[in-house]
Amino acid sequence: MKDKHIITMLPDYLDNQLDPVQKEAVDKHLETCNNCQKELEAYKRLFDAINKEKKEEVPDRLQLNFEAMLEEEKAKTIKVVPITANNNSKTKASLPYMLKIAAGFALLIASFFLGKYQNEQVSNQTLAQMENEQREIRQMAMLSLMENKSASKRIQGVNYIEELAMPNEIIVKALAERMLYDENTNVRLTAVEALGAFTNSKTVVNAFVTALGIEKDPGIQIVIIHTLVQLQEKKAIAPLQKLLEEEETQPFIKAQIESLLPKIS
Amino acid sequence: MKQVAITVVFLAFALTTKAQDYTKSLSGIEWVKIESKADIVVKTHNSQELLIKNRSSYDEPERAKGLRLLGEGGSDNTEVGFYVIKEGNTLLVKNLRKSDYAEIYLPSSQNVAVTSTWNGDIEISGFTAEIEANAQLNGGIRIKDVAGPVTANVLNGELEVLFTKVNQSSPISLHTTNGVLDVSLPGNTPADLSLGSVNGEIYTNFDLSVPDKNGLRSISSKKVKGAINNGGVSIKLSSTNGNIYLRKQ
Repeated sequence: MKDKHIITMLPDYLDNQLDPVQKEAVDKHLETCNNCQKELEAYKRLFDAINKEKKEEVPDRLQLNFEAMLEEEKAKTIKVVPITANNNSKTKASLPYMLKIAAGFALLIASFFLGKYQNEQVSNQTLAQMENEQREIRQMAMLSLMENKSASKRIQGVNYIEELAMPNEIIVKALAERMLYDENTNVRLTAVEALGAFTNSKTVVNAFVTALGIEKDPGIQIVIIHTLVQLQEKKAIAPLQKLLEEEETQPFIKAQIESLLPKIS
Repeated sequence: MKQVAITVVFLAFALTTKAQDYTKSLSGIEWVKIESKADIVVKTHNSQELLIKNRSSYDEPERAKGLRLLGEGGSDNTEVGFYVIKEGNTLLVKNLRKSDYAEIYLPSSQNVAVTSTWNGDIEISGFTAEIEANAQLNGGIRIKDVAGPVTANVLNGELEVLFTKVNQSSPISLHTTNGVLDVSLPGNTPADLSLGSVNGEIYTNFDLSVPDKNGLRSISSKKVKGAINNGGVSIKLSSTNGNIYLRKQ
């Protein structure tokens, strides 16, 4: 209790607000109590800090208007430069300064080229992307044309194949579908001829073999037969023999098959 | 009064005879598909409807009185021996008589597809829209005064097409298997031509190959490709066993 009582009086003790009796009692206590000495030290530091703040801030604010303060700030910052410069000798100082400028320029140029390079990369990417998109658009146009009600438009769709260097599987399958199932003979014929350029694809060859089994138009049959014989496709033998046996097969088709069949079997 | 009465009677008579032709509105119809075993002629008129001429020359058997003609794919619902039905935006027109010639009129802007499934010849003229024609067995096809696009295929008959001008919008494809293919184009037609006959010969007076002195000349190779008038719409003429004749008009 006594200690606590002393501690509460410490601020006033430091401020010299205590009466002589109280002050003597505190002095006496402090001589023996370590805790209270530490406490007093802490108070002293705190009070010092507070005092310092007051001494710097208050007069400045009162005495100087804004411009004066600005002047002072300027003076302070100007002061900073010589201090750093003074750390190096004055003759040496000009060299790093030049170096700094040079470095600045180097950085500027480097970032310019970096930006340009990145830009080029981006534009190359967008170009590739655009080409890709264009290709996709062409593919979509081709696919949708091939579904058109008009036979002429479907033929146009099939003919688009000439503009696609490497048709993908979707296109090949769509063309094969035209060749096998389109109701219009001219569309089937156009598809057969278009697919004839892609016989390195297994899908295409299989589609030709299937077509040989179902196609009734002799004009198309003959193109399919020639293509498969040229490829030496063994899978064509069975449907060819079937065509030979069928009554409705045109005589000139039979004659063709008879002359060509020995070439693949 | 008497005169008016006579006129009315006369008009009524005229209308009833006229009503023997079959007409049907074509609003909302994109394609008219005509099928026939017998000869069929498709012409244009200025009305926005389908008109099938009544074939007065055709003598219905006495025994058929009160009966309805029954054909493949439908029965006579037109009183002129045709079966007509709308399927979506397509109008199907089937000739039910197997031997009688028929005449059909359509507006020139109508897309038409005509198929002959037996011996009938097809004749089409005057259309500015798209034409599809197919003679599946022994019939031939003659198309004239058209602008394209035309897609036509003939098995055993001849295919003859006369263009007054050539629409550049979409391709023309003409094929015969055993018959002759004979095509006339205006000389100034811009087009990318492709001509090919497996066993037949190709003759033309367009500048596609080595010039010859005697007008039409034979192009010996099986397949010829070339542009005329700096190129344009794709025109493909092909035949398996027939000769191809391409004429400059």
